[in-house]
Amino acid sequence: MSHAHAVDRALVVVSFKRRLAYKSQWALGLALGGGSMLIAMAMWHNLLGSGTLAGYDWDSMRAYTIIGFVAATMVFGAADFQMADRILDGHIAVDLTKPVDFQRARAAEYIGSMISTAPTAVAGVLGAWLLFDPPGPATPLAGALTAVSFALVFPLAFGITYLSVLVCFWTKRYLGVMWLREALLSFFSGLMIPLAFMPGWLQTLAWALPFPHFTTTPAVIYLGRVDTAGALGLIAAEAAWAVGLWFLGRLVFRHAVKKVTVHGG
Amino acid sequence: MAEAFALKRSVPVRHVFAIYWRSLAAQIRSVFEYPADLWVMASAGATWNLLQFAFLAVLFATVPDVAGWSFHEMLLLSGLLSVAGGANALFADGVWSTGSYVVRGEIDYRITRPAPVVVQVASSHLGLQSFGEILLGLAMFGYGWIGAGLGLAWLPVGALALVCASVIQCALVTALCAVNFWVKGPMSIFAFLMIDLQGQSMRLPLGIFPAAVRIVTLFVVPVAFVNFVPVAVLTGHLSAWWLIGTPLTAAASLALAAGVYRLGLRSYDSSGH
Repeated sequence: MSHAHAVDRALVVVSFKRRLAYKSQWALGLALGGGSMLIAMAMWHNLLGSGTLAGYDWDSMRAYTIIGFVAATMVFGAADFQMADRILDGHIAVDLTKPVDFQRARAAEYIGSMISTAPTAVAGVLGAWLLFDPPGPATPLAGALTAVSFALVFPLAFGITYLSVLVCFWTKRYLGVMWLREALLSFFSGLMIPLAFMPGWLQTLAWALPFPHFTTTPAVIYLGRVDTAGALGLIAAEAAWAVGLWFLGRLVFRHAVKKVTVHGG
Repeated sequence: MAEAFALKRSVPVRHVFAIYWRSLAAQIRSVFEYPADLWVMASAGATWNLLQFAFLAVLFATVPDVAGWSFHEMLLLSGLLSVAGGANALFADGVWSTGSYVVRGEIDYRITRPAPVVVQVASSHLGLQSFGEILLGLAMFGYGWIGAGLGLAWLPVGALALVCASVIQCALVTALCAVNFWVKGPMSIFAFLMIDLQGQSMRLPLGIFPAAVRIVTLFVVPVAFVNFVPVAVLTGHLSAWWLIGTPLTAAASLALAAGVYRLGLRSYDSSGH
């Protein structure tokens, strides 16, 4: 194993363990994510009854809502604040002196923290499965491709989060940046309401952004709304976003790092 | 801490208000020193509300009503809740820092000052998102009001609803943040849990939820009185008698917040003991 890989692995493990140490975070994540899931279930149960809206019936909406819960748990439970704090409190000055690539190190830490949301996601999905008995994937292949699209959420979530965190070079606080990102992600991913409900122009706008891959892509693959070729196309688009955002992050960082000021210096 | 309480009881109300506004004004001045933060936070507050509006617009393009509630009626729900949340961020955002002040022992010197601790803590921070939230919340409320066909005669009820919603929201968040006097930690988990779940569930009609949720939100953690009850009365979904509950809940929530904070201060033993 090369030195760089060993550093990556060490940072993933450290970040994972650090997050696991705060067990109250699991409970909070489960209460928040589980609560949102139950609220969404109550709304769609009332609206759908035995009918269909925008191609969704109660069966498919149950699966959709659970997929949304998994995506939200992975993304909203990760350690984005830690990354922002390094820029805001000046730790970045020390990071820049280390023989480790800043972006790559933050990616390793971020992905470690995303893995630590697994207990919350598993507990929530198990509970939801027992309560709501959602339908299985359309085909075994669709199930496997859904897993692939979920795996790609890791680099994609990092790409979006990292880019938004870089805004902290110009601001003194991160909270607003986080809210702005979470608002856009919640809406354009289809977490708040499936994209199929939206008018054509809004769907086009959503698909021009990386956000739909957080909920809509895994959900439509799982439910068999797209055939295998379509599913592979969506996964390719998701991967392209992950790669594109990685390089965009590099570009913005190169420009932003010139702004770094530590304690006014 | 008994002497400190005795001192504070003798402080005139006018003086307390003067301290509060002075402290808040200092926060407002400091906010404008960082324009990038102001714009990011204000647009974050505005974007959440714009997308809430978009959510309802998209939903109602497909469905005629949600449990008997129309688009404009649900805009009233959403708008009122946003104004209440924005009021919390504008007038009492500092209460969110209660936990970190307790952990770091920063309540110490606030106890020695001649003004209620809760007032000093509440005015120690300003949530910049409040500008966007209140503005867009009021716009949604106003648009829903006109669309729902509510005339000028209902305006006093609307004003009462806006004031009570803000008071209840600030008071409930304060009471839950005060839990950090006993459950030590910098994060106000209980208050955060409340506003997150409230923000999602109370934008929907209460009728879609099971009876247990209705009982909890009406009588245990009375978030339903922030927006659901007044809007349901305004739109005829509930009888007018329910409106009495709104100012009563506001008064009870204020008393609860003051009581829990006072009890918390009694058990406060600074840091490192």
